[in-house]
Amino acid sequence: MDSFRVIEIKQSVFADNNKDADALRAELKQKGVFLLNLMSSPGAGKTTTLTKTIAALKDDLKIGIMEADIDSDVDARTIAGTGAKVIQLHTGGMCHLDADMTRQGIRNLGTEGLDLVILENVGNLVCPAEFDTGSVKNAMILSVPEGDDKPLKYPLMFTISDVLLINKIDAADYFDFDFDACAARVKKLNPAIEIIPISAKTGEGIDRFAEWIKRQVKQWNRQEENRG
Amino acid sequence: MHELGLMFEVIKTVGRIAEAEGVTEVQQITLQVGELSLVIPSYLEDCFPAAIDRKPMFAHTKLEIETVPGMARCDRCGTEFNVVLHEGYCPSCKSFDKTILSGREFVIKEIIAG
Repeated sequence: MDSFRVIEIKQSVFADNNKDADALRAELKQKGVFLLNLMSSPGAGKTTTLTKTIAALKDDLKIGIMEADIDSDVDARTIAGTGAKVIQLHTGGMCHLDADMTRQGIRNLGTEGLDLVILENVGNLVCPAEFDTGSVKNAMILSVPEGDDKPLKYPLMFTISDVLLINKIDAADYFDFDFDACAARVKKLNPAIEIIPISAKTGEGIDRFAEWIKRQVKQWNRQEENRG
Repeated sequence: MHELGLMFEVIKTVGRIAEAEGVTEVQQITLQVGELSLVIPSYLEDCFPAAIDRKPMFAHTKLEIETVPGMARCDRCGTEFNVVLHEGYCPSCKSFDKTILSGREFVIKEIIAG
């Protein structure tokens, strides 16, 4: 029994990943690439929103897309139709991407000449909120059919997001979605979050999201210059 | 079911630390899981065998989980109470506004090597 010893660790399970994510952010800063992490439930409209957003941004920014899914490449094929550089990442059964998987994805995508990389995370409101990917900003989509009470059920996701897109507003007449109640719940968790109602189907609000992205990229590049 | 990914993360971290410490076999891993951490201990236990599969260092490892109570202080009247037990509401004044004191942690506390 003398050979047994207790090693005290007292480390958050997320500590290693957080460190890795910080390192990735610093590497991307060096390269001048802005990483946006896009999250939502399955079926909230990430891919359709992306397709419309790429169209609104492609004259201003060189964009790369990483599609993360447990399996298949249907989303990557859809995005490839927009002309943006795209790769498909398979998480091998995992429900989220961590910083290490994101780094590998970025390496495979190749960042040469890109200003903006958007990571379409696995459709899930739990794990992607827990694992920092190394992104500069986090965006999430909540769609009208999911209900205005989602912030109460998945508070962490709403807490770590910088912008919330409320999608499928074209279908609002068919659902009892209370926009004011939803906004109040979200702002209570995260006062700084920006909320943009959109319809990826009709294109309504996509210009506001595109402007938000452009503003963030510009601000981030300016920070970089200041650091010199 | 995000516990599978979390358990793999635990094993990755412990493996790295054990290697650095020159440990070849881990006898026990002790985790601290807060009641407000969104992590469910029994699911962690279910995922544990998958996370240690074909990893010789963990062939005989036992998983020990300590639960940390989810405690809060009421912002209105200052009462300290268990959030889970009282479903988020202060038992004295029924306010929902509170400051979390403990229960969010998900920590690798220690390992026993041997």
